[in-house]
Amino acid sequence: MTAAADLDVRRLTRAEQVEHLRRKMASVSAKVSAKVGSAHRGVSGSDDLISPAGDLLAGPESQDGTAPEQLPRTLPRGTVAVARGARSLTLGMVAAVTAAGGHAVIVGQPDAGLLAAVEMGADLSRLAVIPDPGADPVEVASVLMDGMDLVVLGLGGRSVPPSRTRVMTARARQKGCTLLVTDGDWQGPSARLEARVCGYEVTGAGRGEPTPGRGRIGRIRLTMRSRGRALGPVRAVGG
Amino acid sequence: MPEGSRVLALWCMDWPAVAAAGAAGLPPTAPIAVTLANRVIACSAAARAAGVRRGLRRREAQARCPDLHVVTADPARDARHFERVTAAVDELVPRAEVLRPGLLVLSVRGAARYFGSEDAAAERLVDAVAATGVECQVGIADQLSTAVFAARAGRIIAPGEDASFLSDLSIRQLATEPALAAPDRDALADLLWRMGIRTLGQFAALSRTDVASRFGADAVVAHRFARGEPARAPSGRDPAAELDAVLDCDPPIERVDAAAFAGRSLAVTLHRSLEAAGVGCTRLAIHAVTANGEQLERVWRCAEPLTEDATADRVRWQLDGWLNRRTDDRPSAPITVLRLRPVEVVSSAALQLPLWGGIGEEDRLRARRALVRVQGLLGPEAVQVPVLSGGRGPAERITFTALGDEPVPQADPRQPWPGQLPEPSPTVLLDDPVELLDAQGNPVRVTSRGLFSSDPSRLSGAGKRDGVLRWWAGPWPVDERWWDPQNRGTGRTARAQVLLGDREDALALLLCYRQRRWYLEGAYE
Repeated sequence: MTAAADLDVRRLTRAEQVEHLRRKMASVSAKVSAKVGSAHRGVSGSDDLISPAGDLLAGPESQDGTAPEQLPRTLPRGTVAVARGARSLTLGMVAAVTAAGGHAVIVGQPDAGLLAAVEMGADLSRLAVIPDPGADPVEVASVLMDGMDLVVLGLGGRSVPPSRTRVMTARARQKGCTLLVTDGDWQGPSARLEARVCGYEVTGAGRGEPTPGRGRIGRIRLTMRSRGRALGPVRAVGG
Repeated sequence: MPEGSRVLALWCMDWPAVAAAGAAGLPPTAPIAVTLANRVIACSAAARAAGVRRGLRRREAQARCPDLHVVTADPARDARHFERVTAAVDELVPRAEVLRPGLLVLSVRGAARYFGSEDAAAERLVDAVAATGVECQVGIADQLSTAVFAARAGRIIAPGEDASFLSDLSIRQLATEPALAAPDRDALADLLWRMGIRTLGQFAALSRTDVASRFGADAVVAHRFARGEPARAPSGRDPAAELDAVLDCDPPIERVDAAAFAGRSLAVTLHRSLEAAGVGCTRLAIHAVTANGEQLERVWRCAEPLTEDATADRVRWQLDGWLNRRTDDRPSAPITVLRLRPVEVVSSAALQLPLWGGIGEEDRLRARRALVRVQGLLGPEAVQVPVLSGGRGPAERITFTALGDEPVPQADPRQPWPGQLPEPSPTVLLDDPVELLDAQGNPVRVTSRGLFSSDPSRLSGAGKRDGVLRWWAGPWPVDERWWDPQNRGTGRTARAQVLLGDREDALALLLCYRQRRWYLEGAYE
């Protein structure tokens, strides 16, 4: 609709208008597919970024694929990390792991938008969801560590005592499974990741401040920050 | 007609009355009538001798035969009492097919050869049934339906004589046997009678095309029967294989390690019997009885047939789940009886592993084991597997199925779905009612033409997500379910995107307008 407004309608025949609109649509979808493609690139190209060969889990690049060098693209296998802020971080991690052939499970996050993960390149056949893990999600996560490469654990605001987190950390290291904890209090993780939305790109609403009533959300810009023994202090802005 | 496709029908006359007599403890010679909706539908020979007929009203039947014993019809009672006749016949000639309680058919070829002749076989069957205290008649013919009428006449029809036997029967006979006639066969018989066709022979003389064009499909079936043409052979019933594996636990199981041993040995027993039957199990019920008499059962469904190890694992996980329940519905006593029952079996060809690589790689199986174990802890519905589905909103484009079920999407994702939102999709899915207000504070609606009633400017009722809109787009109407009468008059469905907050701390939301309300459908974060 917005593209149609850009056209000088009077001077074009109907066939030309259709052709013009088609081209516009193609250019919009090309941006989207470039983003998905970059998620795959991040996975396949992760080997040269990692020092111990192949032993790391690929993480997400920032949403639009132009991640700065310092971003935590990978989490070492067998680490426990706490993720805060924007949900794109965990979904991107799930997408990257499943696209690379690993198995992931999301525990205790019934509101996760899996379609967004699919758009980031996730392979749903390697993903399982446990929306309601009952009274003790940590127990469920510890069972799942046996077979999974990534467990996303939503604690639902619970706080886990240090005695249990130590056991879980040891178990994660032993099983080679990455545990990504969100939405709760977890003592002593080996990394803390934080993602914040720092803006949106609105496609088709003109330059500068978007005009209300035109365009649509085309891209999410994220700032990511990570701290931890596994990664060292890093601050980066993506997008 | 192939030689030797002879069918024997065994008919117990007045079966509902005989069964009722058996249930009431009366001798079969007592006058008995079975009624349905105040009409006699069956009566014993003694009652018939006293003048009771089918179709008579109950009061009138009692008037004709004062010591008549009247019972109401009960198909379950008929079937229950007929089981002993079936068993007696099975002793002699296996694989009989019961058409209805009181009437069964079987292929007579093997029995005739074994007993010497068809007459001898019929005689032995009548004797065997008489030994259970039931009278019956036997008829043998080339065709199943002819055999049923031969049994009513108590005759053995010579091979190839079906049509000539039937030709003398009244056209009314077409509708007398409910097991062979379609529900509206009565009307057909009546119509033919009024047209002057009085016997089956006259009906058989009509041409097939005339019958088909004037009387319809059921008449063609009746016509084939009247001509004694082949319809179908008795299919026989397969004996239900005893596949259950039962273990009496002594000492009773109260610890998980003991459960693991029990599961292992029970799985071995079960798989021996499954192998012997040549089947694989895709749904397995695990049933346990505790010392206090509590019954626990859970059915496990699997996409692939269970192997012996998989069965043992499931039994162990299930017992682990039952014995270590945290809540108070943990069994109050140790388990004494353990039973594995295959609920659904498939041909064991499905168990054959492909030549290269097997059903899946090692880590896929490892992941699956972990998930199945969680199913044991939380219940089979707790572990969900997503699959891409068709649809327009972000939530309906993912279908969740329980792990182990076949992942079937609710709608076909390859269809075009006009009105589908383009990428990116919201990363958080919500479903909360909210208010969308314009600059004057009036609620914003979507009109029937798919436009906002006024420009939106503020979102409220969304808790911490409330605020002034910095940007909005839409509404994008969705043409869905307008044909559904339930949705008529509920207004349009449309979606809109809004942006809140300032440049540094922005938040984009997806709103959905349906049934004249705004809902917060997702957040982009």
